[in-house]
Amino acid sequence: MPVAASAIYFLNLRGDVLINRTYRDDVGGNMVDAFRTHIMQTKELGNCPVRQIGGCSFVYMRISNVYIVIVVSSNANVACGFKFVVEAVALFKSYFGGAFDEDAIKNNFVLIYELLDEIMDFGYPQNLSPEILKLYITQEGVRSPFSSKPKDKPVPNATLQVTGAVGWRREGLSYKKNEVFLDIVESVNLLMSSKGNVLRCDVTGKVLMKCFLSGMPDLKLGLNDKLGLEKESEMKSRPAKSGKTIELDDVTFHQCVNLTRFNSEKTVSFVPPDGEFELMKYRITEGVNLPFRVLPTIKELGRTRMEVNVKVKSVFGAKMFALGVVVKIPVPKQTAKTNFQVTTGRAKYNPSIDCLDKKFPGQTESTLSAEIELISTMGEKKSWTRPPIQMEFQVPMFTASGLRVRFLKVWEKSGYNTVEWVRYITKAGSYEIRC
Amino acid sequence: MPPPAASSRYPSPSQPSGKSEVTDLKSQLRQLAGSRAPGVDDSKRDLFKKVISYMTIGIDVSSVFGEMVMCSATSDIVLKKMCYLYVGNYAKGNPDLSLLTINFLQRDCKDEDPMIRGLALRSLCSLRVPNLVEYLLGPLGSGLKDNNSYVRTIAVTGVLKLYHISASTCIDAEFPATLKSLMLHDSDAQVVANCLAALQEIWSLEASHSEEACREKESLLSKPLIYYFLNRYSYLKGRSKFQYGGVCFCRIKEFNEWAQCLILELAVKYVPSDSNDIFDIMNLLEDRLQHANGAVVLATVKVFLQLTLSMTDVHQQVYERIKSPLLTLVSSGSPEQSYAILSHLHLLVVRAPFIFASDYKHFYCQYNEPSYVKKLKLEMLTAIANESNTYEIVTELCEYAANVDIEIARESIRAVGKIALQQYDVNAIVDRLLQFLEMEKDYVTAETLVLVKDLLRKHPQWSHDCISVVGGISSKNIQEPKAKAALIWMLGEYAQDMSDAPYILENLIENWEEEHSAEVRLHLLTAAMKCFFKRAPETQKALGIALAAGIADFHQDVHDRALFYYRVLQYDVHVAERVVSPPQQAVSAFADTQSSEIKDRIFDEFNSLSVIYQKPSYIFTDKEHRGPFEFSDELGSTSITPEVSSDIVPAQQFEANDKDLLLSTDEKDDNKGLSSNNGSAYTAPYESSNISSQMQELAISGPAASATTTQSSFDFDDLLGLGLSTAPAPTPSPPLLKLNARAALDPRAFQQKWRQLPISLSQEYSVNPQGIAALTVPQSLIKHMQSHSIHCIASGGQSPNFKFFFFAQKEAEPLDYLTECIINSSSAKAQIKVKADEQSTSQAFATVFETALSKFGMP
Repeated sequence: MPVAASAIYFLNLRGDVLINRTYRDDVGGNMVDAFRTHIMQTKELGNCPVRQIGGCSFVYMRISNVYIVIVVSSNANVACGFKFVVEAVALFKSYFGGAFDEDAIKNNFVLIYELLDEIMDFGYPQNLSPEILKLYITQEGVRSPFSSKPKDKPVPNATLQVTGAVGWRREGLSYKKNEVFLDIVESVNLLMSSKGNVLRCDVTGKVLMKCFLSGMPDLKLGLNDKLGLEKESEMKSRPAKSGKTIELDDVTFHQCVNLTRFNSEKTVSFVPPDGEFELMKYRITEGVNLPFRVLPTIKELGRTRMEVNVKVKSVFGAKMFALGVVVKIPVPKQTAKTNFQVTTGRAKYNPSIDCLDKKFPGQTESTLSAEIELISTMGEKKSWTRPPIQMEFQVPMFTASGLRVRFLKVWEKSGYNTVEWVRYITKAGSYEIRC
Repeated sequence: MPPPAASSRYPSPSQPSGKSEVTDLKSQLRQLAGSRAPGVDDSKRDLFKKVISYMTIGIDVSSVFGEMVMCSATSDIVLKKMCYLYVGNYAKGNPDLSLLTINFLQRDCKDEDPMIRGLALRSLCSLRVPNLVEYLLGPLGSGLKDNNSYVRTIAVTGVLKLYHISASTCIDAEFPATLKSLMLHDSDAQVVANCLAALQEIWSLEASHSEEACREKESLLSKPLIYYFLNRYSYLKGRSKFQYGGVCFCRIKEFNEWAQCLILELAVKYVPSDSNDIFDIMNLLEDRLQHANGAVVLATVKVFLQLTLSMTDVHQQVYERIKSPLLTLVSSGSPEQSYAILSHLHLLVVRAPFIFASDYKHFYCQYNEPSYVKKLKLEMLTAIANESNTYEIVTELCEYAANVDIEIARESIRAVGKIALQQYDVNAIVDRLLQFLEMEKDYVTAETLVLVKDLLRKHPQWSHDCISVVGGISSKNIQEPKAKAALIWMLGEYAQDMSDAPYILENLIENWEEEHSAEVRLHLLTAAMKCFFKRAPETQKALGIALAAGIADFHQDVHDRALFYYRVLQYDVHVAERVVSPPQQAVSAFADTQSSEIKDRIFDEFNSLSVIYQKPSYIFTDKEHRGPFEFSDELGSTSITPEVSSDIVPAQQFEANDKDLLLSTDEKDDNKGLSSNNGSAYTAPYESSNISSQMQELAISGPAASATTTQSSFDFDDLLGLGLSTAPAPTPSPPLLKLNARAALDPRAFQQKWRQLPISLSQEYSVNPQGIAALTVPQSLIKHMQSHSIHCIASGGQSPNFKFFFFAQKEAEPLDYLTECIINSSSAKAQIKVKADEQSTSQAFATVFETALSKFGMP
């Protein structure tokens, strides 16, 4: 039985129940005590997100300062359970308007009860789509008081929508100005050895979309990926346009995308939900353009002194620039004194040495050189384990994968004009350089 | 009976008892109850909110039940919802008061607003008061016929809830039949999905005592129905012409992602009629692998894997196909989600390591990942290491050995060791391991020592390199018993190569009293003996002290071993040497820790908790053996019933031994001294020593210690009180099948074959008492069968259940017979399962096997 949850608990960090909902009777009401005493108050907490106590399994995750615990007694579907929690939190966030934490739960508990009732029935997830639920769960969080909220939509209509044909979009939307915002957000994961070899490198990207379109528009998105381009040139029987094409390792789409058409014609076509959503996710491992090169040299001079020299080089176009660049250079715990110079930006000691650069232009180089004095500890022969150097950054208008949007076509029967906006940004995922 | 509801919940000490507040609320509610003044709803809302918030933080507000019900007469939907919530929470504890609510709930079920109808119906079904079920039937029946789909979805789940309250009422009202027709004809996808969920649950619970339900359950898996569901949700193909029961679904709609999981789970159980059928379904579902919801992807993966189990080539292709979606899921989402996916990937990696061999970089750990993710990744790296990627993987693992997280550092060293034991080219790895010893961290040294010991047992040729480094380690720096035992074993084994071995041992023996671990003391005794045979003058004194201390030891095992050594030495020093320190024999393979059946069983339960726990579901969901309130600290501790115990033995063993690679070995050599070599490196006799381990020591020493082998085994039989003469002599039938005496099969090939071949024969034999007696040393059976050209590939188990895997090869033809043999020594029965390349001769082989087995234990 693919039951996703028998009960769901929201606990704060102390273990107090903020809200709970029991969906099935096969778990006891005091199961949460078991969780508190056997998991929260022991070292087990960080050890494994799925644990069994007695006959019940606890599937839990922490989101900001709240633990969300799912209790099941059967051989449940864990992936479904986790996904349910993540989706539910996303739903709550869209109701509260942003944050999901202990206070938000306390302030909106009636609303959460209502939602918990709707999104799951007897352990089976029902509808978690915010667009649809917002039609008939009319409370607007704490942002608007109850009494002043007029019921502008007749409820019977809304319930028809609950399970309508295009479950993610309601009919009769209308905007004065039809706009589409497309954001390509990539995060680069890098693991580089101390010798400068790339051990592992990949890019996970998301295409985020914000739609303000009237009616029921059909959208078609073209990217410069290899599969799509080949198919296109084949169909139009002309050679592929010159220019860089990239190969996506794997793609997943929002449920609105017509997957059958993607498989047969390699075009991304869809009827978008209203508002903001994640259209697709992709992963690339080949041909990644790393935005930064880091060249560290660390010398341990005897037992009390170290010399650190880190060179950071930006290798993207000279006209572009990176924002919020942070290079975290780890130093031993017994550091007594640090002395450093940086060529650009500033640096501070903050258990590790952090070099901060608000703006880092392309094709430039920045160097940090530091001297570190250590407290000599008695009888400590342990050599320092040298955690990797970590980097944070954001590079607007740059994609590490080289992905570009070639076109975005909007077609609606009324034939209105749309304005399309496209942005690119590359962020650091886990960007680690061993030293 | 389910436990009491939330009303009895643990009140946190920091929260007020709230008694006076509740009384306040009560009077305020009473005032509002009859009021029809404008704005009364707003003040009611505030009060209701207060009640609910008290309820949430655990204050018992059940005393205002009556007032809440009185206030429920309102048209305000939010108020209603709060009221329903309250009623649902407390009805169970107050069955009498709940009767009050029935009235207004029933009225609401007829409200003109479908929203209210639905909500009221849901609350009505959630009251969970058995004596109120009669009131449920009417509203449920009309709910199922409601023209609004929202009400129908709720009514369908309501039927399932009713079934759990009172199964007979639900069946008598013929709700399942109604659900079935709804499932086939309703236009709303969510209604259909809920029908499916409800029917699956009801019928599988009913199936145990009703044949009809059994049939219905089967019918859910019929071809038309499966296609009905699958086509329905892939309607976007736009050409679904499928007809069922005369109704044509032209306007079929897509199920939501959760319902898709449900349907995919159903499709897994479907048995396709032919290969076209399989490909049809896979084509239909292929695009599901691109779905953003990980649960849908995993469910699809399961369908693909199960459908193609019988088609080896396609099965391989499926692995290739699902690899990249799974890897994407791992790298996106929260660590908890990637953990769930990684656990499944782990299962697949272990099943088909070669497919993932080139993707090893995906399993490199990131610095900030939680340790549970890292641990899984390390295991996967170990599993996929092969000739082409070992160097990179080991290099990477060596990086982790310096990790701040000690547990991960240990795991990664173990992983390096495991890879070393798997591979033929260990040259580079040995160097790495020896470098670990130079890191001078206690835990690194400890783990490495254990591994070096295992490595030396398998590859004695490396002794020279290892010993020179190990010799430099000061025993004072090693605290962990396992590591200490390993070091002592090496000191004893290689005493002739380490100049100061006797002196280190002497030092250790002098501190006998401070040594808390019995394991270490046992090893100390054996090592002192071995050292004595090689360098007698230097060790004699130390050995004397050790034996004296050992005999005086309070630990039974240590005492017995010391006494035994003493007596053997007294009898004859040369015999003692043959017993304790025979020529070294390399161990060719360490036994696999988890049986392939357990693994297959987990694989069948893909996409469930079994995969996460790495054990089949019957172990952790068996409610008869563990009530919901029985908390055990040990995750691994399970109650075992006699009828399943034979299956569980390997699993337990897995738990106990997963950190210790020392286990029974398969032998290819007929050297009699081999078993005693194992005995000396044996770490088994811990606290839980039983008589059989003692016997084992005895039996091992038996043949060598006394000149007449048979005599000793007679003594041994007498010890168990079994008269030899009374045993009936079995009449051996002439073997019809000639077996190849020198057959060879490596364990991996065996595993693969075992998985692929069907069981061609399964039989039960009784084993003669002598055989059972001789079985206290499982090795003896292995040797006995070998003399009949049936070779053992793996063995395990503890008294009374022993398990062996044998293989044999037909003379002059490369046809293998694989046999699993489970011998229960208390019932004297042997169960065998034979899988053969050539099915027709499996009976003949079984006869040979039986003949061989019947002679076991006979002199």
